[in-house]
Amino acid sequence: MIVAVGVVLPELRIPVTPTFVITTAVATRDFQDVHHDRDQAVRRGSKDIFLNILTTTGLVQRYVTDWAGATAMVHRVAVRLGAPCYAYDTLVLTGQVTQVSSTGCVVAVVGRVAGGDHVTGQVEVGRLP
Amino acid sequence: MISGRVAIVGVGETEFSKDSGRSELQLAVAAVRAALADAGLAPTDVDGLVTFTMDSTAEIALAREVGVGELRFFSQVGYGGGAACATVQQAALAISAGTARVVVCYRALNERSGRRFGRVSRAISSAPTSSGVDNAWHYPMGLGTPAATVAMVARRYQHVFGATGEDFGRVAVAARRHAATNPRAWFFERPITLADHQASRWIAEPLRLLDCCQESDGAVAVVVAGAEQAADLRQTPAVITAAAQGSGADQYIMTSYYRDNLTGLPELGVVGRQLWQQSGLVPDDVRVAVLYDHFTPYVLMQLEELGFCPPGEARHFIADGAIELGGRLPVNPHGGQLGEAYIHGMNGIVEAVRQVRGSSVNQVAGAGPVLVTAGTGVPTSGLLLAPRGSGKVGH
Amino acid sequence: MEDTVNAAAERIRAAGAGPARPARDPVNLPMIRNWLEAIGDRNPRYEQDGLAPPAMTQVWTMRGLHPAADPTDPLSAMSAVLDQAGFTSVVATNCEQTYHRYLRDGERVEVRSRLVDVSGPKRTALGEGWFVTTDSTWYVGAEAVASMTFRVLRFRPPGSVAATPASERTAAASDVLRPVVTRDTSFFWAGTAAGELRIQRCGRCGRLRHPPGPVCRQCGADRQDHLVARGTGEVFSFVVHRHPPVPGRRLPIVVALVELTEGVRMVGEVLGADPAQVRIGAAVRVDFVRVDAELTLPAWRLLP
Repeated sequence: MIVAVGVVLPELRIPVTPTFVITTAVATRDFQDVHHDRDQAVRRGSKDIFLNILTTTGLVQRYVTDWAGATAMVHRVAVRLGAPCYAYDTLVLTGQVTQVSSTGCVVAVVGRVAGGDHVTGQVEVGRLP
Repeated sequence: MISGRVAIVGVGETEFSKDSGRSELQLAVAAVRAALADAGLAPTDVDGLVTFTMDSTAEIALAREVGVGELRFFSQVGYGGGAACATVQQAALAISAGTARVVVCYRALNERSGRRFGRVSRAISSAPTSSGVDNAWHYPMGLGTPAATVAMVARRYQHVFGATGEDFGRVAVAARRHAATNPRAWFFERPITLADHQASRWIAEPLRLLDCCQESDGAVAVVVAGAEQAADLRQTPAVITAAAQGSGADQYIMTSYYRDNLTGLPELGVVGRQLWQQSGLVPDDVRVAVLYDHFTPYVLMQLEELGFCPPGEARHFIADGAIELGGRLPVNPHGGQLGEAYIHGMNGIVEAVRQVRGSSVNQVAGAGPVLVTAGTGVPTSGLLLAPRGSGKVGH
Repeated sequence: MEDTVNAAAERIRAAGAGPARPARDPVNLPMIRNWLEAIGDRNPRYEQDGLAPPAMTQVWTMRGLHPAADPTDPLSAMSAVLDQAGFTSVVATNCEQTYHRYLRDGERVEVRSRLVDVSGPKRTALGEGWFVTTDSTWYVGAEAVASMTFRVLRFRPPGSVAATPASERTAAASDVLRPVVTRDTSFFWAGTAAGELRIQRCGRCGRLRHPPGPVCRQCGADRQDHLVARGTGEVFSFVVHRHPPVPGRRLPIVVALVELTEGVRMVGEVLGADPAQVRIGAAVRVDFVRVDAELTLPAWRLLP
């Protein structure tokens, strides 16, 4: 793995099935109906069930640690949410190293769906002690 | 060269209040009339007027109301309270140059009942000037009051030199002790203790309410004339032994935060060096100091910047009451702007003149020179005043 | 309505952090495995070493399927107020989590939250709404292990009743004092709008300077360039401003003069900080406060 400003991370494509939306919601203990009940989600103005924020944070963390390896230690994850990531979307995560120091680096991550940027964020990562 | 050739020959004040009930122009007229009466001069003797750029009364408006006819010299000095002593310097320069014979310096403000300087000012923040651009680096970020801008420096000063809130408080206690015996002071007969200071509410930490000067309504005027003419006038002249303005390197208005250190007032250092050089005096010669006290930490820093003590040691210098009446260097016997009134430093010049004349309510014995400074944290100014014949004149 | 919301926000904010709320379960491997499986995270480290993935921190203290009403929780209390005012829908907009260390299997965490800011009403693509920002800190015993700044938009779905009359709409943003911007300084404000903290750099000698100006003080050149700051620095001095009011802000605020890693100093508000925790020398990182389309302010956040 090369760590230098400008290094681009391999793209990660996640087919966001209803199962994916629901199992991640439950695994993050988020039981709001818009994450598992399509009828309720539609009634509340959404076109389908959609990913919850804890999952998005988790996916951004996973995307960077997939690349950085098992000894990576994540210090910080900051995400800004945009378009919802609905069931049947494909979430495409891309990333690029924006800062490098002696102790780690910062990766800028973007997650896109058909409707636009679902998430933009930064992950600050170093090594496990 | 100004030294010894020009004098303050008359002083005038209105009452100091929280609501004057009059326009600033009316206040200015009252103060100027009082100063001319004190000097024994008529309005028609005046041929020059100087004020602050912040003053709302233009020289021509004042001249119309007071009955001054033709003006040969008029000028306004910028940078808020930093202008105070500079108005007298400008008058002295004009008189020394033969441009004018009698110049009145004035400042009138309804600072409590009208526009309060302690508030955040949208007008200052959005001024379409280089100063407005300077303000863009702190007003939008939430730093927009004089107290807060001083607090930033005060915190650093505490951090570097170990000064405490109690050290700041001792300045306020001294001022209020002096004001307590000055009937003109707003805080006449209302001294405070260090405990009162420590119990007062936070304004902008590390500054408390009692670290901040008052807000006042009132006006002050002083009459400046050549020393030869002064000798024929009613009052003992307060001879201008030295007068100076100063701006430091990388100077901003209240936010000179980008210099190497944040623990001094270099602009006042520029003033101090000129005062000592022009007069041939040294700090030890000074009998009384009238130091601009809008915020207590800047009084400590002025003592250091002017050479009364080394940098960082003002808290030791004042610890034993040195700046109180009876101390080594009584500071602000009238109570200063903390105790008497906030007339943008001009009331301090009046007190200095009274100390020279020997007529202050809190007179400090002796014949030595009296030092006055103007607003700090901004380009500033200072004066050394003395009775005729006292003090050494350099060169 | 707006005054009611603001008054409630001020009350809840002034109350500070709510009581610590313990996680239902200790950190445990079954939940970690469920999470890893659902998220698709194949990092073996967590199971091998009995560590929880950092992004799970918030999971431990989620309220579950049947959450009890919790009036002592600042976000719940604020949500109830906005719900009453007709802002019934919610969407998360920002989440910034900082992990001081990874949690270990068996540890019991608890969380304390406080309301940091409520701003609005604002027109958004979703409808008119209020942004509600909270800060949360997770503890194991007395040790803070993670913290989070979380912002949600509580909005009135379009077409719903009782849209606020325009006369009542005085967004706090309109009160923020706006910088005077000239040709000499516009690069800085374009930078903040783009999420960049820009420092002026002389196009000839490379000297860095803030605040910027048209002419280099070192070499006299008038060719100005800029670099994008790393966004880190240390508190050089700071003020806790309590009086008088500051337009567009709820007091107290902490304003710091920060010495950037690059060496220049810059003033900005320290967001989400307990005034008692701010120290000269504290490490900070830049953040950006978007006031509106024209203005984004640089600000600071304390680094743990």
